[in-house]
Amino acid sequence: MSSVDRRDVKKSSRIQISRGMRTVLIGLAALYLASALIAPTSVSRIAQMGMLPFAAALAIVGLGQTMVIQQGGIDLSVAGSVSLAVVIVTWGPDRHDNRLIPAVLAAFGAAIITGLINGFLITRTKLNSIVATLGTNAILYGVMMGLSGGSPRRTTERLSNFTNNKIFGLPHSIWFGVIVTIIVTVILKRTVFGRRFEAVGANARAARAAGLKVGRYQMSAYVNAQILYCIAGIILGGVISQPTAYQGDDYVLPSVAVVVLGGTSLLGGRGFPAASAISALFLKQLDMFVLSLGVPYGVRTLVISLSLMIGIAIYAVNWSSIRQKLMRNSKSRTLSSASA
Amino acid sequence: MASSIGLVAVMAASTLTATASSAAGLPSWCGPKKITMGFTDGFGGNSWRLVTTAAVREEVKLCPNVTKLYYADGQGKTDKAISDIKGMVAKGVKALVVFPDSGQAMLPALRSAYKAGVVTVPYRVWAGGVAGKDYNIFIGSDFVLAGKLWGNWIKKNLPNGGNILSLSGPAGNSQGVDEAKGLQSVLGSDPKYKFIGTQPYEVTNWDPGKAQEVLTAAIAKYPNIDVITTDFGPSIVSALQAAVSSGWKVPAIAGSDGNVLGCFYADNKATQPNFKMMTVSTQNDHSRLATDWAIALATGGKVPAQKAYPSTAFEDSVSGKPSPVQCRKDLPGDVYLSAKMSGAAQAKLKTN
Repeated sequence: MSSVDRRDVKKSSRIQISRGMRTVLIGLAALYLASALIAPTSVSRIAQMGMLPFAAALAIVGLGQTMVIQQGGIDLSVAGSVSLAVVIVTWGPDRHDNRLIPAVLAAFGAAIITGLINGFLITRTKLNSIVATLGTNAILYGVMMGLSGGSPRRTTERLSNFTNNKIFGLPHSIWFGVIVTIIVTVILKRTVFGRRFEAVGANARAARAAGLKVGRYQMSAYVNAQILYCIAGIILGGVISQPTAYQGDDYVLPSVAVVVLGGTSLLGGRGFPAASAISALFLKQLDMFVLSLGVPYGVRTLVISLSLMIGIAIYAVNWSSIRQKLMRNSKSRTLSSASA
Repeated sequence: MASSIGLVAVMAASTLTATASSAAGLPSWCGPKKITMGFTDGFGGNSWRLVTTAAVREEVKLCPNVTKLYYADGQGKTDKAISDIKGMVAKGVKALVVFPDSGQAMLPALRSAYKAGVVTVPYRVWAGGVAGKDYNIFIGSDFVLAGKLWGNWIKKNLPNGGNILSLSGPAGNSQGVDEAKGLQSVLGSDPKYKFIGTQPYEVTNWDPGKAQEVLTAAIAKYPNIDVITTDFGPSIVSALQAAVSSGWKVPAIAGSDGNVLGCFYADNKATQPNFKMMTVSTQNDHSRLATDWAIALATGGKVPAQKAYPSTAFEDSVSGKPSPVQCRKDLPGDVYLSAKMSGAAQAKLKTN
């Protein structure tokens, strides 16, 4: 083994902070600094308390999407899953506290079934994940509309207290975001399951050759993702006292954006769940920042899209090859002008 | 309430005339031709729309010559709302009531339905176009008047002026724009009143989640908010609750009614000295007038006298007129006590 190889092994040691995490943390620090300097109210307690529960929900959705993307898939059933969970836990109890727990269990049941359907379609029938999850999304919407007619009821008192009561000055919803992020990160980064899960995502054939039950790991990604969307839906149902039936619609693209911002490759393989969760905080603080700037709605949308484009371009564009190409071009131009 | 009483009176009167003229006792707007009818909603996913759609169903039941009513929900997507209209035309409906949430983007679809010979009645949101060319008639509401009602209440109850924060639905929606015009016409020339936040209103898409983010940002940005105006009162309650739990003082609210908002007032009035509230009727019965028009034109009935649904005051915590703030703890938060349909009947509604 050459010395170069040995250095590579050292680099990927387990305590290393990923490039995605570094970028996101720097971005987040810069954003909070800019917020404090340019729009100081966006970091005030009231603004943060209003924003953080939504960041927690997005973080949890992002963790689910991270797992799916690690397996080389993409999950577009986020909208339907989150909306269905919101509808089941609000419409189901219909303001009766004693019916809340059965409703929550039903929501998890629905999530597991959805995950199994997604997993089956993608791993067994080899359907493209975009097509499969889009189809499932339509079914979820159908079920949701069939159940509630598109009108969820008001959150029950118990669910509202469950998400909004505070521990150490922070509402439970935020703690849920933190705890779920820690659990998913530990499972993916510190357990045998997690390492095998990454191996399957990086190269399913090699993993199969190594004796791993590939289908089972891929299936687990879709089921776990649905469970996470369901948790996010329950939190949203509690945070928003009178949710709409389409509460999940706002989470599809952001869920993919936080995964990409967190540095997980859309081609699958290594995943960075904690970085995805922090990207969710970044996106929501960005929303809060532009809201607090008080610029018109159109400008607000533009600022958010531009920041996302820049963030994603950091990973998606092969900057070194562009630089080389540019240098080559300028060199050849100098050469041709010299020869002329 | 006044509006619904007014409408009931109009309908009762029209029913009486109809009874005089027809043995069956049908309302005058219900003509002899048998038709099928469609109702398309741009966005059906909240309780306000649930009650509004149920109002259409109730109205259609009054006229047995409408043999079937189809409903479609655009789910907030313009493309779906457009294809819903096309779908209705393909089904062969003779009358179509449309809530064109996406505004002018819906005009080509409305026009194509109208040109295909379907009686097309958009209502509530202005989609541009000309009646008799792009659709039969637009049944609007006087939202400028709603803004004026808020403005007059603010002038009376905050005579020393104050900072006004306005919230409405999607960017550029005609309802929000007109309400802002009404507010401006009453308070705009008086320097004591200052309009804060994005003008003409902060965009919330009438989504409680979005409203919560927008309102918390505004509360943080402006330490002195004296009045909040909102045309979907219930959608801001979760944001108000979150802010109250952070120690914020609730200002005066000029909004539209909803049981959840009324109960929020009842729960907080003792501890919030600045919290006064007035609401205009949230107008769930606006859809009834549009339905009457569509049925009248398609079945050959007598068209209603009203061409726009009136804006009326509903609750006032200060004067108690036309009604004190109402809170029915025995009913869900998402019923609208200003509607013609009773709160208990609304609570039983399950599906669109």
